[in-house]
Amino acid sequence: MAEEVLIWQALNRALDELMAADEDVFILGEDVGLYGGSYRVTEGLYAKYGEWRVRDTPISEDSFTGLGVGAALMGLRPVVEIMTVNFALLALDAIINMAAKVPFMSGGRLPMGLTIRTPGGVAKQLAAQHSQRLEHTLMNVPGLRIVVPATPQDAYWQLKQAVLSDEPVIVLEHELLYFHKGPLDPTAPPPPPHRAVVRRPGRDLTLVAYSKMAVLAGQAAERLAEQGIEAEVIDLRSLSPIDWQTCVDSVARTHRVLIVEEDCRFAGAGAEIAADLTERCFTQLEAAPMRLAGLDMPTPYNGTLEAQTIPQVDDIVAAAHRLVKEAS
Amino acid sequence: MKQPIIMPVLSDTMEVGRLVRWLKKPGDPVKKGEVIAEVESDKAVMELEAFSDGWIAGPLAPEGSEIAVKQVIGWIADNPEEAKGEAAPTETAPEAAAEPAPPPEKPAPPPPEEQAPAAAPPPPKEAPKPPPAPAEAPPPPPPPQATAPSPGGTVSPVVTAALEPRRPASGGITPLARELAAELGLDPDTLPAGADGVVRAGQVLAAALTAPAPDLSHNPPHQVELPSALRWKVALNMQRTTDTPMFRVTTTADLRPLRDFAHEGEWSLTLLLARACALALTAHPLFNQAWTPKGLARFERIDIGIAMDIGEGLVTPVLRDMAGRPLEELAEDWRILKDKTQRRRLRPEDYEGATFYLSNLGTFPGVRQFDAIVPLGSSAILAVAAADAEGRTALTLSCDHRVVFGADAARFLDTLVTRLKQPETLVKP
Repeated sequence: MAEEVLIWQALNRALDELMAADEDVFILGEDVGLYGGSYRVTEGLYAKYGEWRVRDTPISEDSFTGLGVGAALMGLRPVVEIMTVNFALLALDAIINMAAKVPFMSGGRLPMGLTIRTPGGVAKQLAAQHSQRLEHTLMNVPGLRIVVPATPQDAYWQLKQAVLSDEPVIVLEHELLYFHKGPLDPTAPPPPPHRAVVRRPGRDLTLVAYSKMAVLAGQAAERLAEQGIEAEVIDLRSLSPIDWQTCVDSVARTHRVLIVEEDCRFAGAGAEIAADLTERCFTQLEAAPMRLAGLDMPTPYNGTLEAQTIPQVDDIVAAAHRLVKEAS
Repeated sequence: MKQPIIMPVLSDTMEVGRLVRWLKKPGDPVKKGEVIAEVESDKAVMELEAFSDGWIAGPLAPEGSEIAVKQVIGWIADNPEEAKGEAAPTETAPEAAAEPAPPPEKPAPPPPEEQAPAAAPPPPKEAPKPPPAPAEAPPPPPPPQATAPSPGGTVSPVVTAALEPRRPASGGITPLARELAAELGLDPDTLPAGADGVVRAGQVLAAALTAPAPDLSHNPPHQVELPSALRWKVALNMQRTTDTPMFRVTTTADLRPLRDFAHEGEWSLTLLLARACALALTAHPLFNQAWTPKGLARFERIDIGIAMDIGEGLVTPVLRDMAGRPLEELAEDWRILKDKTQRRRLRPEDYEGATFYLSNLGTFPGVRQFDAIVPLGSSAILAVAAADAEGRTALTLSCDHRVVFGADAARFLDTLVTRLKQPETLVKP
């Protein structure tokens, strides 16, 4: 039975169930214990499972992420919370050189059941150093898996699938989606963690998006429908690997693709998506894929300027109109 | 407050209407329902009524201009002062369109609250607040800002960045269009391009489906003139029938008894012919069907369309329920339809949707025999030629072979000819 929950509640529930089921699952990070996590995701778990399994760490991203790598090597299932993706930069050695490569370098003999949860994206006026989209950095690391849930259901499923996976998985959460509400049915069978889904069918163009932009793309599609344009909305759900087939099937129907991302346009996630879809769908395209992305600049603190650096629903609607008009 | 008067949509296919004349001028008072202008569609001149009480206000679209449907052609004001005043700068002056223009696609700018940047909703008030923020926790959200522009307004930098590399999108052919052209065996170099010079799938499909344009380079010098809207419409309708597999069966009948009967009873001969067809249809309901891509449409009523020459073209006013109503009633309908046709006042419901058609060229004594084209939406049309010296008249039935077969047509004509010999049976259904 589906109930309406917030995304942080879905994540919290997934962690609770994982910890109850398997003693090898433990959490570590800054403020995850007594404080309950800066976005409440670990709320209540410290009281329930104790300080041994819900471990507060000092501000030392590379160290506690390294600790998680070591624990995973020993066969445990650590869930590392990095308070925001911006601080993951400090832990890139553990993530890139260790977590991503050790299973390969050991010929598959050393397991890496590591899960890293980290919020990212542009929230509200957190300024340049706290409003980064680093998916392009992480996507560029062979061996890492990246999931980007946009709904409570996916947050619940994908976190569980990540923890149960023997590959290192980054669960990239969006700071503005924690209080996003939606149905959660824990009994429904989950799709594979890296499969994309068509959130809304349409015939005129395909909107490819992920995380918060998938939510905005859905809202834009509703408005476009009122204006006579039927947009198909694809939520990628995963950035590594990417489920190309769902995108290719859609482009074969619509012949036009608009990629919407919060990541910076230059060498961002959308650049990869556009290039790959062009290769895969070349003869199906009526226009070059269009990318609507964050501006290639550090995010300004000023709220008005900040909002202008990343796509808004109006921008998606306007770009969709241009693309459909251009290619008709 | 002024409310716009718009060019009405008078039929499904109407894209543009001609403003024949205004019956009011700015400042004139009008009552709701009062006729204020005449507007011409594909086939008819229609009266445009005021939708509310008020005073006509300018600027009014010029008489004689072609205007896209749903475009503003004038205004109705609440009070006479406003009606006399100049148009406010925000109002769009009505524009005459030389060509059919699509209705404006850009929506009005959304209300201000929708212009705030879209973001996840803030946490509900009743939910417990997170504990006090540590150094790195986010500050409370700022008040909503008016930022992202609407599609109709200035373009945001995010959209500009997306459009910038696409600027020189002129010429060439899209990958999809190239593949389609190859599949359809068309030379991409000969395909017509769209307005931006790019050949897209739509142009390829249109080229594949359209009959080739004649090459007039070796013909005598000539000028190209646009035909009337009516001629366009007829041409388009006829071209659409090219996929109908058609056959014709001809018989002859002695129409003298019918002619005498019509003369005595002061009936219209065409009306009696249509009635005879309708009664033959009741005996052969196969003919009261139409082929559609989804299957056969069986009509529950017999509606006969009668082809009428109106000088510069052809229309087909329709007599409804031709087999189920008294002949007197049908005669009155026919009188009204003929009158409307002559005054070009037919509405789409007057000339569309027949289940069987009749075309009578019997008034041209030289026409010995001809066949007509079955319009879409029906399965047969009867062509009536002129009588010869012995009073014998050729009747040719054109049929859609997907719906009926040759023997069906022969049986139908047999019944029809029998009916025509006994015109008195046409009075009662």
